[in-house]
Amino acid sequence: MYFPFPVSLRRAPCVAALCGRFAAAVAVLSVVAAGAPAAAQDASSGAVLPDGGIPVTSDLVHRVCGTCHRADEQRRMSRISYQRTTPEGWQQTIRRMVLLNNLQIEPADAREAVRYLATNHGLAPDEARLGAFEVERRNIDFRYEADPQTQQTCNRCHSMGRVLNQRRTLEEWELLTAMHRGYYPLADVQGFISGDWLGGPGPEAEDGDDGRTAVERAVAHLAEVFPLDSAEWASWSANMRAPRLEGTWALVGFERGQGPVYGEVVVEANPAAPDELETRARYTYPARGVDVTRTGQALVYTGYQWRGRSTSPEHFSAREVMFVSRDRDEIAGRWFTGAYDERGIDVTLRRVGPEPTITGVYPSAVPAGAGEATLRLFGANLPDGLDAAAVDLGAGLTVTGVSDQSSTAATLQVTVAPDARVGSRDLFVGPAALTEAVTVYDEIHRLEVTPATGLARVGGVAFPKQYERFEARAWHDGPDGESGTDDDLDLGMLVDVDWSVEEYAVTFDDDDTAFVGTLGEHGVFEPAVDGPNPERSGERNNVGDVWVVATLATAPDGTALDRPLRARAHLLVTVPLYIRRGESGQ
Amino acid sequence: MTHLRPINQKAARIAQGMAEARHRAGAGNGRTGGGEDGRVVALQDSPAGPPQQEGPHIPLGCSFIFLPGWEADSNGGAAGLCQPVERDLFDCHLGCFWPAQVPDQLNHAPDWTGKCAAAQKDWRKVDLIFP
Repeated sequence: MYFPFPVSLRRAPCVAALCGRFAAAVAVLSVVAAGAPAAAQDASSGAVLPDGGIPVTSDLVHRVCGTCHRADEQRRMSRISYQRTTPEGWQQTIRRMVLLNNLQIEPADAREAVRYLATNHGLAPDEARLGAFEVERRNIDFRYEADPQTQQTCNRCHSMGRVLNQRRTLEEWELLTAMHRGYYPLADVQGFISGDWLGGPGPEAEDGDDGRTAVERAVAHLAEVFPLDSAEWASWSANMRAPRLEGTWALVGFERGQGPVYGEVVVEANPAAPDELETRARYTYPARGVDVTRTGQALVYTGYQWRGRSTSPEHFSAREVMFVSRDRDEIAGRWFTGAYDERGIDVTLRRVGPEPTITGVYPSAVPAGAGEATLRLFGANLPDGLDAAAVDLGAGLTVTGVSDQSSTAATLQVTVAPDARVGSRDLFVGPAALTEAVTVYDEIHRLEVTPATGLARVGGVAFPKQYERFEARAWHDGPDGESGTDDDLDLGMLVDVDWSVEEYAVTFDDDDTAFVGTLGEHGVFEPAVDGPNPERSGERNNVGDVWVVATLATAPDGTALDRPLRARAHLLVTVPLYIRRGESGQ
Repeated sequence: MTHLRPINQKAARIAQGMAEARHRAGAGNGRTGGGEDGRVVALQDSPAGPPQQEGPHIPLGCSFIFLPGWEADSNGGAAGLCQPVERDLFDCHLGCFWPAQVPDQLNHAPDWTGKCAAAQKDWRKVDLIFP
């Protein structure tokens, strides 16, 4: 289990009475209990009975939850047997039981209960995909196209991801909304009954006013599309087993503002429990010249949901949330950190077999007039004594030398023909191939700053800062010569742009740029401190709207551009959060 | 605003500023908010700008009058947020109005503001909660 909560309700003396009980319960929901048995998976685990409900086959769950949740003759427990969710969802449920329902539970029991429930009352891979952004802690602008009204009802208070990761019977969806009403009585006026408590047109007006409240419509929709009993779960739960992931995996990643990441991860499994893993990773950021080693532990829930924690002497400690492919050849997800989980690496691990594999080339774009270029090749099982002639980059690019080679990387000396045509090149090293490995370009036509809209939170005095990271990418307009079309060529991240902050004209005379924070050389925005600022009118916080501007005056090959290229993104610097659900504060 | 009566001096000044702005903008056009020195005039409310919600944009009230409200105002910026946020914390806590952003008084943190006589002065004494 990857959720260590050594101190819950941290810095919360007003709720100190709860701290001891709560901390005792979840403090050791830490990574993988040594020697703990693998989650029980008998032949019928996870199966939904014909008349509804999933029998709970764990004696431990009956023992720790059975005081309140009565079991019937088929071992179906009230509430518990009629819902499925992620490890995070079950963990949050147990935390709430401890905090608000006087549950007394030993940490080891809480950990094992989450493990059992997340595996046997979990989500199938196809069901978890839609809400993966929630557990991967991605700050995205999600739109629930299937029913925007339901999203509006739920989004009034929290992310739609929490909803997408639930599967329940109709009665359970109704009870869930009843719980909201009990704990948060304003939920009715905030969105449950009326669609718009400001008096404007709400969802019901758009719906022809069928007499149902907003929450009644949402429950009907959710019970239909996110039911307890689904074909996906029936298929997956019958096929589910602990995965066999030991071995070496090639790592391909990307971190915004830091560029591509290449390396490898060695996974070792506990012989007694193959879903408990230990990892050793080493990888490099070629754009920044940074090498990282990392060790960690992970547990795989539901046969495919990787949850881990890892530490590094050179880099940040990370939480790891990934998903194992059905054929166990690929594991993909996010490693993240930060007070708001805002910094992360998008990671894909591919199983390394006996054959050579190419994972990437850096830089991934070369100018047609470069003459000579040096590229770094990354992969696995690269043959010893790699011959330049064996590396094929296509017309106009000739590999003249190979140096600094290991089994996972090599440096290529490349001659770029003056008449090399603009476009992508596939790379072949013997039987190994990488499509669109290198792009030849003659000109940078535009820049793009991502994310287009960023978010940071002031902090550093009483509450943590939320940083934002920006990245400038270069683009070529492609064969059609038109900007923003499908044939545009991505020339990769630029490391030498100048970053600046400009006023975003929303309010006259607010001087946001002077207060909101600073933008570092790599596009990392550090917000200013929290708290009222006496130097601002009305003692406003250091919040505001600004433009983040990237300017490129010199091409990567050192030649001066005729006119500097600019691109910008909107940055909203806003207030802290004072409550962090599902987080440990560690 | 016309049916609300200001209960303090600041609200009175705002109401006066709004009335003057409406007067300058002409009858029936109440979309331009304004203060005495123009500090609270929101540019995004310009008639030439993108479509706005009906009614004046008032970048001063508590954040609950905007959606999504906490992190951003109805236009996606910070101009309409309750500022400073500490001014709003007591109401948010006691009213449990932002349960995902501010600890609720009913269940999770009944004494959250126990050490905090005035949030705008004692804001360092409220705690980050991890329920």
